[in-house]
Amino acid sequence: MSLDQEAAPTRPKHTGGSVARTMLRGIGQILITLGVVVLLFVVYEVYVTDLFGQRKQAAATEAVDQVWASAEPATTDTVVVTNSDQLVTDPRQRTPNYETTLGDGFAKLYVPSFGADYVFTVVEGTDPDDLYIGPGHYDGTQLPGQQGNFAVAGHRVSKGSPFNDLGLLASCDAVVVETQDDWFVYRVLPMAEEVATWTSTPRAHCDGVGVQTGAYDGVFGREITLPTDYAQVLPIPHVDSNDIPADAQRMITLTTCHPQFSDAQRMIIHGVLVRSYSKSAGFLPPELAEG
Amino acid sequence: MYTWIWRHLPGPTAVRTVEALLLFLIVVALLFFVVFPWLEPYLPFDRVTQG
Repeated sequence: MSLDQEAAPTRPKHTGGSVARTMLRGIGQILITLGVVVLLFVVYEVYVTDLFGQRKQAAATEAVDQVWASAEPATTDTVVVTNSDQLVTDPRQRTPNYETTLGDGFAKLYVPSFGADYVFTVVEGTDPDDLYIGPGHYDGTQLPGQQGNFAVAGHRVSKGSPFNDLGLLASCDAVVVETQDDWFVYRVLPMAEEVATWTSTPRAHCDGVGVQTGAYDGVFGREITLPTDYAQVLPIPHVDSNDIPADAQRMITLTTCHPQFSDAQRMIIHGVLVRSYSKSAGFLPPELAEG
Repeated sequence: MYTWIWRHLPGPTAVRTVEALLLFLIVVALLFFVVFPWLEPYLPFDRVTQG
């Protein structure tokens, strides 16, 4: 801010010219001030809300860790897991036995391709207050591992920026969700431009991931849509119905704003459940090490 | 405006500088903790949900 040091002890008498000059200077100072306020808003939005968001996220993580620790079975046996296949579960046999409360964490989201330290506690609800804490689960969509669609929204810029890098996800990248008793490994669906060559190109980590057909026709790993396209988070993406057919897949959908620094559109990531494990002390799914 | 504030700050130049800095920080804190959080929901930067 400009600190005008012209103030002399004896000021000249106001003439017509000096009044005009004073007014011009006042207008100039107001304009500069408004410019500084806009810059401060950018600093606030990009840095300050990140700090606030990180603190809220840390508190939510601590809370969910406590819930999980207190919910652990009473047995203290430590099973040494030599082969992760021992813990593979059939998701049809796993029913969530936890409650979700708006604004409270109930799951953790890992994206190994973003780095081993990429983990966010997912809270229930997508109100601004919920999303300030971390990625928020669309209230009313399915829970992790269930048939239908586990849909999560997250900020791309500001408030901890959990979903800043969704644009970097590639097909078959793992998105791992940890709940109280389970690990659920989802993988990103084929991108629209990969569909033609999907079967002819060998790809790593793509078991269980394929081009979508039938009711799922046209559902891709990444889509850019309008904010009004709510069907993206419904049980079968693009199908405007809350019904979950008997043969429905187990999807995950992540939404964030697009392009960066704007919310004119939405970036949508769709994935499908390929594997699940029951939790065991000291066990981490091998997918987390994919990096 | 700033000339007027500067003239009305008490004390010698060094003290006035500190006072001016303090005033600036108060304004920034007011913006960060009150004005911007209130303003934010009305601006088109940050909505990430469908529907």
